[in-house]
Amino acid sequence: MKIGSHELKLEKRVTLSGTEAALISVLAIFFALALFSLLFLLAGINPLIAYQKIFSYAFANPFGLPLTINRSIFLLLCTFAFIIPFRAGLWNIGTTGQLYAGSLCAFGVVVAFGGKTFNSAYYSPALLIPLMLIAACLGGALYGAIAGYLRGRFNVNEIVVTMMLNFISFWLVSFMIKEGGPFMKSGGEGESFGLPASIFAPLIKGVPFTIFIAVGLAVLLYYMFAKTKIGYQIKAYGLSPAAARYAGIQTLMIPLLVFIMAGAMAGLAGYHYFAAVPGVYKIPKNYGYFGDLAFYGIICGLISQGNPIAAIPVALLFGGLSVGGRFVQGELHMSFGVDYALLGVLMISLVAFQFFYRYKIEWVKTKKERLDVGILR
Amino acid sequence: MWEFFARSLEASTIFTFAALGELINQRSGVINVGIEGVMLFGATAGFITAQTTGSYLLGFLVGIAIGALLGLLHGFVSITLGVDQVVSGMGIWIFGFGLTTYIGNPFTGPLGMERIPTIFGLSPFFYIGIVLVVVSWFVLSKTNLGLQIRSVGENPSVAEVSGINVSRTRYLCVIFGGMLMGLAGAIYSLDYNPVWNYNFIMGWGFIALALVFFSMWNPLTLLAGSILFGTLWQLSLNPQLVLPGVLSRYIWRTVPFAITLGALVFMSTKWFRTRWGAAKPEALGQPYIKE
Repeated sequence: MKIGSHELKLEKRVTLSGTEAALISVLAIFFALALFSLLFLLAGINPLIAYQKIFSYAFANPFGLPLTINRSIFLLLCTFAFIIPFRAGLWNIGTTGQLYAGSLCAFGVVVAFGGKTFNSAYYSPALLIPLMLIAACLGGALYGAIAGYLRGRFNVNEIVVTMMLNFISFWLVSFMIKEGGPFMKSGGEGESFGLPASIFAPLIKGVPFTIFIAVGLAVLLYYMFAKTKIGYQIKAYGLSPAAARYAGIQTLMIPLLVFIMAGAMAGLAGYHYFAAVPGVYKIPKNYGYFGDLAFYGIICGLISQGNPIAAIPVALLFGGLSVGGRFVQGELHMSFGVDYALLGVLMISLVAFQFFYRYKIEWVKTKKERLDVGILR
Repeated sequence: MWEFFARSLEASTIFTFAALGELINQRSGVINVGIEGVMLFGATAGFITAQTTGSYLLGFLVGIAIGALLGLLHGFVSITLGVDQVVSGMGIWIFGFGLTTYIGNPFTGPLGMERIPTIFGLSPFFYIGIVLVVVSWFVLSKTNLGLQIRSVGENPSVAEVSGINVSRTRYLCVIFGGMLMGLAGAIYSLDYNPVWNYNFIMGWGFIALALVFFSMWNPLTLLAGSILFGTLWQLSLNPQLVLPGVLSRYIWRTVPFAITLGALVFMSTKWFRTRWGAAKPEALGQPYIKE
């Protein structure tokens, strides 16, 4: 395309620097928010007011801020569950199923210690909370391992597998907590029993301790990808599984390993929401909503370009946006699902912006040769 | 019992349409993992249109049109821009999942229109589906156009050299495939189960994707597979018909997904691959960049 003496030229990127990637990601988010303001306009709402309300509720409101922080911890863990396989070129869209599996295992520990039948008794938090965490990790990891094993051993498409596993575990949760299932609250309304008060996760200034786990894991994962042999092998596998095999990397091990790690992260996310967020402490009736939220992890992972540290601010932003979106939906009398719509719009704008990760547009000054030739003639 | 079989065949019709769309996509070398999203969009748009205008025809047309648009979008992103096809498909799925939840919510509830009349006790779409399968099989395996589509999916650079416009052929398939997926969604929400509810497709799109792998990219096998899975699905909804009182109804709901998994694994074994695996389009999932 030519404009005046300059030409708009498309060039394939050879490398993508960190700042460039960050810039594109920020642009993609802004583009999505601009696109999303169309929905506000269609609902007859001034988008600026809507965004102002979203952000002030999510980040500056005594009720909204704790919700944002809790949700961001959850999203961050879900993001890790996406990032780790993504680095190996694999798509884990089974965070939902893995987090259900982890949560069921964590609640299973409580049942095993009698926490369901003797709900008001005292249980030692020093024993039970670590056990619940381990169970959540193991449950998620085992569930994730199915997809990893099938991918590594039989080369089965992991997208279909993880999605099937999502639906299986969705119905398993229903089975466990509804219609007389083993975890059902007695006389309850299709939700699980509540945790005994003594094993509520400890809060530090109102924030569950899981925040330290999440942030610690970000650093650990960053280190793993940057400095360790295993991180290098994962990346090598992601670039080319065939080449990795020639380099002596076991092609069964890597998919299995990344999905085990991802499942453990998802299990932790499940523990966090159902056993550590103040006011929940059970697997609620609408557990499907939390499973759906896990899909934000995919977007966080794509926007942060698989970088676990960069995922922290992104998760915080999206946590706030989804909490604030829910809030303005009620406040401005919008239809249900503002946070879902935001999820969709963010995703599609991100897809469009994938283009810019591969190409760059450059202003090139057109040469004046032709003009000179004309004068000479 | 007839009632059960009729419902099963109607369920299988939806699988047939959606999976046939994906099959045509994949034969041209483009994978669209966002079938579920396209179906949700087609279903929701068709439902809203039919309810507000009172016309089934308009509802189906809008469902098809929105499917075509999403197919075009997928084509633009993955063929023209050369973005990873899985990223684009995932985007379309989450886009559909998120946006239809918001758009469709005010329309939650039954359609409230007279049901579409049946022919010999079955939805007319069942017959259309069978005709479409046979026609697609004929076009893909016996005609010049089919040869073009297959060659583009197998080896695009050779196809280009022999005078086939790779991008145009792929666009054609992606848009036509999208139309079928959108129609599949509309059939679900207007005919099979005319009630709008959040995320009501509940995995049909992903099972359709798996069905394409099962079918060895052959429309006739695909039809058999859809009938099998339609029956399975119906069975998982009404387990009391076969085994009354055994297992919770929630456990039954997991069965179609578990069987899909099992079938996928079986198909990926070495034995199966060496025997049948050659049918997979060689260039599936690879963007073609003209040198």
